[in-house]
Amino acid sequence: MWTYEKKLQYPVNIKNPNPALAKLIIAQYGGPDGELGASIRYLSQRYTMPYPELKAILTDIGTEELAHLEMIGTIVYQLTRNLTPEQIKQAGFDAYFVNHTTGIYPADASGMPFTAAALQVKGDSISDIHEDLAAEQKARTTYDNILRFADDPDVRDPIKFLRAREVVHYQRFGEGLRIITDNMDSKNFYAFNPQFDPKK
Amino acid sequence: MSEQERMMRRINAYQFALWELHIYLDTHPNDCKAAEKHAEYSKMLAEMTEEYESKYGPIHENPNTANRWAWIADPWPWENEEEGQ
Repeated sequence: MWTYEKKLQYPVNIKNPNPALAKLIIAQYGGPDGELGASIRYLSQRYTMPYPELKAILTDIGTEELAHLEMIGTIVYQLTRNLTPEQIKQAGFDAYFVNHTTGIYPADASGMPFTAAALQVKGDSISDIHEDLAAEQKARTTYDNILRFADDPDVRDPIKFLRAREVVHYQRFGEGLRIITDNMDSKNFYAFNPQFDPKK
Repeated sequence: MSEQERMMRRINAYQFALWELHIYLDTHPNDCKAAEKHAEYSKMLAEMTEEYESKYGPIHENPNTANRWAWIADPWPWENEEEGQ
């Protein structure tokens, strides 16, 4: 189960609207390498993960990703307050606006709705942890790309925080990979799938 | 920066340190030094959170903060001082 804390993990206080930037940052809300996908990926992979350290790290990082989803939702929300029809049109936000007004909808930067097709739950420790390492790097790249287009320090500051978290999570998953291989046959890590095959 | 913002900053800092230690301990459960630090920050966070909630309203629902009106009151985390203008 989960409980809610009525606060953000890291503060977001954006003064100036910028719908063009919101359109890019929403990629991390509902895009293929976004926080929603990250959370669902880790929280779903953990059920059949056989090692206690890995069950813990998938649960905890999957939970932290929900706090990041809330930060991204907050950034997009604060960037799209008090807009005039002219600002909406000029920023190219009109296509999103027609579908969602200024509601926060899980889609990627091109408007493609969130899809679980961008993530995998393979039911094999080595495959899943490699997917997770890649996911953290892909999210880090997306934040780097967002930072290329964001000038407002009110936006850059929380985005840099989120970028740094991807690096820390990558580190923790790397330790997870070590723990998995330490538990396997050192002569052939692929001799059996510890989540399905009987233990040797 | 208001007193409330200053306290929230400290809560965020303690909570962040605590969380970093928490996920580090997931993959290093034998690290006694990290576990001690975890206990230390846990105590600091609990004290600061209790003080904050008594002054500015609940962050979590607990027996001390079970006031329905305080829980539903603005601002919510995605809102800020710009709200309602």
